[in-house]
Amino acid sequence: MRVLVIEDDIEAADFVRKVLSEAGHDVAVENDGEAGLSRAQSDEFDAMVVDRMMPKMNGIEMLTTYRDTGGNTPALFLTALGDVENRVEGLKAGGDDYLCKPFAPSELIARVEALGRRASSEAPTTKLQVGDLVMDLLARTVFRGEVKIDLQPREFRLLEFLMRNADQVVTRTMLLEKVWDYHFDPQTNVIDVHISRLRSKIDKDFEVALLHTVRGAGYRLQA
Amino acid sequence: MNLSRLPAFTRTTTFRLALVHTALFILFAGALLLYLFSATAGRLERDDTDALNSEINALTAAYTSGGFSRLSQSVSERSSSRGAFLYLLVGPDGEKIAGDFDFLPAEAPLAGELYVPFSYDSRNYAGVVQRNRAEGRIKTFPDNTVLLVAYDIGERGEMVKRITDVVWTAAIAGLVLSMVGGVIVSRSVSRRVESLARTTEDVMAGDLSRRATVYGSGDEFDRLAERLNAMLTKLERLMIASRYSGDAIAHDLRSPLARLRNHLESSLAQTGDRQDFEGALEYSIEEVDRVLETFNAILRLSKVQGGQSGTFDRFSLSEQVVEVAEIYEAVCEEAQLAFSSDIKSNLELHADKSLIMQLIFNLMDNAVKYTPAGGAVKLVLRRRRNGEVELSVLDSGPGIPEENREKVLERFFRLEEARTEPGSGLGLSLVAAVTEMHQGRLELSEGLPGYPTPGLKVSLTLASA
Repeated sequence: MRVLVIEDDIEAADFVRKVLSEAGHDVAVENDGEAGLSRAQSDEFDAMVVDRMMPKMNGIEMLTTYRDTGGNTPALFLTALGDVENRVEGLKAGGDDYLCKPFAPSELIARVEALGRRASSEAPTTKLQVGDLVMDLLARTVFRGEVKIDLQPREFRLLEFLMRNADQVVTRTMLLEKVWDYHFDPQTNVIDVHISRLRSKIDKDFEVALLHTVRGAGYRLQA
Repeated sequence: MNLSRLPAFTRTTTFRLALVHTALFILFAGALLLYLFSATAGRLERDDTDALNSEINALTAAYTSGGFSRLSQSVSERSSSRGAFLYLLVGPDGEKIAGDFDFLPAEAPLAGELYVPFSYDSRNYAGVVQRNRAEGRIKTFPDNTVLLVAYDIGERGEMVKRITDVVWTAAIAGLVLSMVGGVIVSRSVSRRVESLARTTEDVMAGDLSRRATVYGSGDEFDRLAERLNAMLTKLERLMIASRYSGDAIAHDLRSPLARLRNHLESSLAQTGDRQDFEGALEYSIEEVDRVLETFNAILRLSKVQGGQSGTFDRFSLSEQVVEVAEIYEAVCEEAQLAFSSDIKSNLELHADKSLIMQLIFNLMDNAVKYTPAGGAVKLVLRRRRNGEVELSVLDSGPGIPEENREKVLERFFRLEEARTEPGSGLGLSLVAAVTEMHQGRLELSEGLPGYPTPGLKVSLTLASA
């Protein structure tokens, strides 16, 4: 993926560039809002990582202008401000996701890749498939091979999110936000428990495990 | 004039108000006394003047109708009949023709007609000569005859003097009273204000335990003092908490950081393979994450305690709690705890949803963390009789001894037996801070019955939307 990073703090920008490059992405960096805006308008990118507090033009202004001029590259806000109202403001300005500093590299990679995929996904799909696991979004059924798997509504949403992000790492906080809509981190293993329940339904009686734990990062659904 | 040389109370608003009040009083009293004076002494004087004028007019009419002879006859008759008036008729040559006096008073003018006050001597019934005051009117006729009609003003003067004295006494007494009253009121008020000011000065000087005196009269100063004291109590608590939490932060972060350092050092000393190093790094990352989590918890707590108003919305608490129950049912099962819930539907709140959810999660996390396997956790949401919403989390864990129930709501306070558990020791403080922010109440009591340990029940009561 081609990723544009707009961040005024040289050190932070360098860190983000390094993390994304090592994950195999092609990264361009701009150090202020104005330069970032003109670069985003003149060049093609699959995703943008935008810092909120920048000289000349802050992230919110920059992205609002970019969206008003027809720019549709998905954007992730990097911000030290993690309040709900800050997040809402960011999303209203045209942000697609946000991440609070300090962040874990794996979290940044997972989210940027999810953004890229969201942009490239074509017309809305009615079926998701990972290996022999098939989800019918209209009938709301899940089959693994010939076996029908019964899921609770929340488990269904959890699996849907994992399948839409198949082969990618999804972090615990991503799951909390996207599946449960919670924007804080419970201390206990809430997510792990639900993943293990899901795992017992989709993997337990089958040869090949699909749902993998990536230590220190999160989970990956992979055939 | 140097105002700062005046006593302190004279520079107060109350004293100024007392002055204004005094001035108004003087105006009112002055107007009242003037009216009284004119209604009594003034009235007497006017009556006398009117009577005198009509007497003069009657005699003038006698002169007009019957000439000089009729006039002198009338004067003779009237002066001999001991009426209210005194008379004197003087011919053009200045000789007395008739009347009570022998000659015109020295103060009398030679011509024209006007009022004259004058003195005359007379003998009283004991034969003693006494000086009297009279007031009269002089009229000169065309033939240069001069007529004086007068009345004695001794009695009236006496009465007017008495009235005047009373009026002056009343005015001075009223003025003094209102001044004294004003000073007393303003001094007592300024004393109360001074005492409040002294309290705040002492607090600013560092004595956080100082409180304003409440006199128990229930007046506005008492109410102000009570509010001030409540504010100071909260301030003191926060100050102590922040002082203590500084130490606690250092203490709580020192151990994981020291562990991390030791671990890194021993990994560096080892000649391990790549896998060992990866393991060491993973361990380090986990430790650092824990430290970061503690910092995040501190920041969140400071934000809530700092009174930054949250994002208040109306939402269905019942729906949210059902979801929490669904999540924790699985978590409890994993931890071998019996989970049950009793959730009343259609309960709404006007609150910061994210913070309330965090609070419920914290309570549930604690219940799961501290309840040993084989125990139970229960989540209850109900409406109280007075319409308030009550959310309770009950467990069968070790519970919290009564003497520590207040303390566990403070930052970083952890019971010794909890020190070994993971966590920052900020969970319940956040619960307390969020509760306070929503003006709710938090009660800690014993939990689920029927278990060897007393268990804990945490109840949060909030106003319904």
